Amino acid sequence: MNAIEVKNLHKSFGELKAVEGVSFNIREGEILSLLGPNGAGKTTTISMLSTLLRPDQGDALVMGHSIKEEPMAVKSVLGVVPQDIALYEDLSARENLIFWGKMYGLRGAALKSRVDEVLEIIGLTERAKGRVGKYSGGMKRRVNIGVALLHKPKIIYMDEPTVGIDPQSRRNILDSVVALKDQGMTVLYTTHYMEEAQELSNQIVIMDHGRVMADGSHEELVRIVGENDRIILGINTESAHVIEIWKAIPGVVHITAENSALHLLVEDSNQALPRLFESANAQNVRINSVEIQEPNLEAVFLHLTGRELRD
Amino acid sequence: MNRIFDITLKDLLQLVRDFKTFMFLLIMPIIFTFLFGFAFGGIDGSADSRLPIGFLDQDGSWVSQALRDQLEKSDIVRIGAARIDSAQELVQLVADGDLAAVIIVPDRYGSHVLKGRTVRLIVFAETDSTAWTTVEAEILTAADRVDSAVRVATILEAIDAKRMPFDYSFDQVITAWEDPPIAVKETLSPVIKDIDQKTLSLAHTSPGMMLQFAIASLLTIATIIVNERKTRSLQRMLTTATRRIDILLGHFLTIFIMLFAQFTFLILFAQLVLRIDYLRVPFGTLLVMVSSILCISALGLLIGVLAKSDDQAVIFSLIPMFVFSGIGGAWVPLEFTGKTFSAIGHLSPIAWAMDGFKNITMRGLGIESVLLPSLALVGYAAVFFSIAAWRFQRVSE
Repeated sequence: MNAIEVKNLHKSFGELKAVEGVSFNIREGEILSLLGPNGAGKTTTISMLSTLLRPDQGDALVMGHSIKEEPMAVKSVLGVVPQDIALYEDLSARENLIFWGKMYGLRGAALKSRVDEVLEIIGLTERAKGRVGKYSGGMKRRVNIGVALLHKPKIIYMDEPTVGIDPQSRRNILDSVVALKDQGMTVLYTTHYMEEAQELSNQIVIMDHGRVMADGSHEELVRIVGENDRIILGINTESAHVIEIWKAIPGVVHITAENSALHLLVEDSNQALPRLFESANAQNVRINSVEIQEPNLEAVFLHLTGRELRD
Repeated sequence: MNRIFDITLKDLLQLVRDFKTFMFLLIMPIIFTFLFGFAFGGIDGSADSRLPIGFLDQDGSWVSQALRDQLEKSDIVRIGAARIDSAQELVQLVADGDLAAVIIVPDRYGSHVLKGRTVRLIVFAETDSTAWTTVEAEILTAADRVDSAVRVATILEAIDAKRMPFDYSFDQVITAWEDPPIAVKETLSPVIKDIDQKTLSLAHTSPGMMLQFAIASLLTIATIIVNERKTRSLQRMLTTATRRIDILLGHFLTIFIMLFAQFTFLILFAQLVLRIDYLRVPFGTLLVMVSSILCISALGLLIGVLAKSDDQAVIFSLIPMFVFSGIGGAWVPLEFTGKTFSAIGHLSPIAWAMDGFKNITMRGLGIESVLLPSLALVGYAAVFFSIAAWRFQRVSE
C-alpha cells in the first residue's frame, strides 16, 4: 500500500516555477529520498506535502488524505524534521519536547512518558535540562528529530537533516533514520548528498529545476547510465580544445569540463584510458591525475542533466 | 483552546528567562516618572511658583518700604534678584526672561504719596506676555493699598490726631487689607482637594511613562515572534494541527498578561508611593487599563508579524513608542499644546489612554468619563489585531 501518492504537483512563486508536474509514490514502511541540488524543488515539494504550501495544481494523498481537502488529517499522521533547527534555544530540551508534544496534542502522563522515551531515543536524557542554545550542532539536530517523533507519526519528513554537522553526528542521524524504518515508519528524506540517498533509500527520486528526472531504486537508476564507468582527469591546459577531440574517441559516452578537470562517462575505463592518454600525447596535453569511479547516482545525475550534483 | 494557553505558557517561560529585560521594563517607567515629574517642577514641593520681579528702591522712604512689604506678601509675585541695585542689570534680566518685570521706585516717591500728589512707578516688562497682565494687576493692587492707607491715615489724623495718630491708622488700614471685606475664595472639588502641585505633576507623568514603556516592552515579545519565524519554529508549528489563529491568540494573550502585570505593578506603585489616586474609581481605572492593554497588545502582535528581523523588531517597537507617546501627550500634556495639536494628538491611542487615566486621577471625574477613551482604545485594538491577523494569514511561511 502507498503511504504517499503524489500526483502532478505544480507550484510557482511569481515567474519562478519551483515545482513542475512532480509525481511519485512511497510505499508504506519504506524510505524514499528526494535527491537533487539546491533549488531543485525538494523543499517546496515537502512543504506542499506537509500542507504548508498549497499546490497551484495537482494533489497528493498522505495515508489516503488529500493535502488540499484534508490538511488537518494529513498533519495528524505526519512528523516533520525541518532543515533548520526549529527549536526554542532559551528553553531546555525537555521543555522543548513538552511544548512540541502539546502542539501534537499530547497531554498529561502520556506526554511525560513519551518525552522521556524520546529523550532516551535521541540519547539526551542526561542533558535534558540544559538549554538548547548551549548544545552542539549535533545535539540540536537530535532534538530537532526527536520533536518529530513525539506523537509516533506514521510518516516522517526529513528535510536535509544532516546539513552542516560533523561526521559523527551525521552517522548517528543516518542510523536513526534506518532505525525509524525498522520500526515501520515511512520516511520521506530530502538530500543533496548522493551517498545518503544511496545508503538509506528503497526508492530515490532525482529532481532538478522543479522536475522529476528519474525515479526508482538505486540499482534501477544506475542502470539508466548502463554499465558506464566514470573517469575524472586532471589536465594542465584549457579543457575546451580537447573536449571536442575526446568526444570522438570510441567508448566515450559523455564529457564535461569542471575547472581544470574533465568528467567522462565511458563504456569501459580499461579500454578508454589508453586511448585518452594517446590522444593527450598527440595534443601535447599533460594528464596530472586520474580517478575512476564505479557507476553511481552522481553519474546518473550527470547523465540526466549534464551537470554535477552539487550546489 | 488548549494550544493557545500552551503557546502563552511557552512565551511566558521565555520572557521569564530574560529576567533582566523584564525588570528593566518595570524599573525604567518609575525612573522616568520621577524624571519627567521633576522636569515639570513637581518633585520639590517647596518650589516657589510665584512670578519673579525686580524691585529697585531709589526713594528709600518708609512708604516705598511699605510698598515692598506688600509685594513680598503677594501670592502672585515674589521679589527676586534682591542684591542687584543697577536698573540696567535688572532690565537685562527682564529681557533675558529671568524676571517677569522690574519696578523702580523713583526718588521722592514717599513724599509725593504723603502729600497726595500723583506719582508714577517705573516698570519694565515684556508687555506682550500673559505674565505681564498678572504682574501689572498685582503691582497696582499693592500701590493702591499703600496709597489708600496713607490717605485714610492722613484724614483720620486730621480729625483726631490724639486718638488716631497717622502711624497707628496706617498700620490698621494696611493690616485690614490682609483680611479684605470682599475677596474671591478659590475652592477645589472635594475629590481633588488633596492634590498638590507635586502630585499633579506626577499624576501626569505616571500614566505617560506607564504607557510609553508598555509599548517599549513590546520589543521583547516581538523578538520572540520574529525568532520563532527565523528559526522556522513557526513553520514547524504549522505542520502540527495548530491553527494560525491559535498561534496569534497565544502570542496576544502573552502580551496581555505581561502588560497586565506591568500596569498593575506601576499603578500600585503610583497609588502607594506617589499618592496618585488611581483607585479612586477602581473600575474606571481597570476599564482604561484593560482597554489600553488590549490596544498595545494588538500593536505588539502587529509589530511581531511585520518585523522580519531583530533589527526590524527594535525599529518597529521604537517608532510607535516615540510617535504615539510624543504626539499622544505622554511627555507634554496636550492641554498645554493648543487645540490643533491636541486634535492631531488624539490620532494616537496614547492620547485616549492619557485622557482616561487623567479623568480619574487629575480631573476628579467618574467612570462615565472613561467610557469614550476606552471605546476608542478598543477600536484601535480591533484595527491593529485585524491587520495583524490578515497579514499573518497572507504571509506564506
